[in-house]
Amino acid sequence: MKRDESSIVNSQGSLSVSDESIARLLCDDNHVEEAVRLIMKKYGEPLYWHIRRMVVAHDDAEDALQETMINVYKYRSTYSNEYPLSSWLYKIATNESLKLLKNRSGFMMSVDDLGDSLKESVREEAAPDADETLILLQEAIALLPAKQKMVFNLRYYDDKSYEEIHQIVGDSVNTLKTNYHYAVQKIKDYILEHQL
Amino acid sequence: MKEFDLEGLSREMPYRMPEHFLDDMTERVVSQIAGQQRKQHKERRIVALFASAASVAAVALLFLHPFGGGFDIPDYESISQCASIDEVFQNMTADELDVYSLMSNYYGN
Repeated sequence: MKRDESSIVNSQGSLSVSDESIARLLCDDNHVEEAVRLIMKKYGEPLYWHIRRMVVAHDDAEDALQETMINVYKYRSTYSNEYPLSSWLYKIATNESLKLLKNRSGFMMSVDDLGDSLKESVREEAAPDADETLILLQEAIALLPAKQKMVFNLRYYDDKSYEEIHQIVGDSVNTLKTNYHYAVQKIKDYILEHQL
Repeated sequence: MKEFDLEGLSREMPYRMPEHFLDDMTERVVSQIAGQQRKQHKERRIVALFASAASVAAVALLFLHPFGGGFDIPDYESISQCASIDEVFQNMTADELDVYSLMSNYYGN
């Protein structure tokens, strides 16, 4: 395995280990640690931002990412290579984000009722030099229902195809397209309404 | 109507990720997983130890008590000394009768 590790970083400095190799390592008890390191190297950042866009606060994103990786270890035997590894990872990360939001919303409220409080967090979490339009975009996203938010983020930021989003979220492609369409419309309306 | 160009907008996030966050997270997750693996190995060893102890105990019981001790085995000597052996047989359950006949064969009665 040591020999393989030398080929992890290619000439551009990016990670070139295939998902199939990572998945094989993940299923081998003696190489789980290596697999987790490779996943964090390859997908840690996109997963972090996927979670952060859902939960907004860095501390929450940290908790959800940690839980995501622990669940990757715990449920590694459930991974089926019928689906891309990235879809499986995004699915776990999405579930962890929703679980965290559900815990915050409590028993009586739904995750979708958290829109206003998430919107408040956007400005608190934004960097001091952040672009105002980007802040408005995040506020608009924060106000979306969870399903629309997931679909919008996966398509707009992660460039996922509807087929991949279907593997992550589970809804039909047509439903996902409708969700994306509504999300885009709401976001545009919000930004136009609030832009100076 | 005025239209906002969402596609032309930067994909940059207005937030920052703390420096070394992912490296620190990787180490934390790896050490948590290593802890869980150690715990699992320990649990597996304990289960294996109990399983072997249980097997040894079962084999020992089988040697010491050929009928497993689960039945209420009638005392052969006291039955054979009874004045009315028919009465004793009438009060015996099917299991007891089976055991009695086994014992009778064994002792050549």
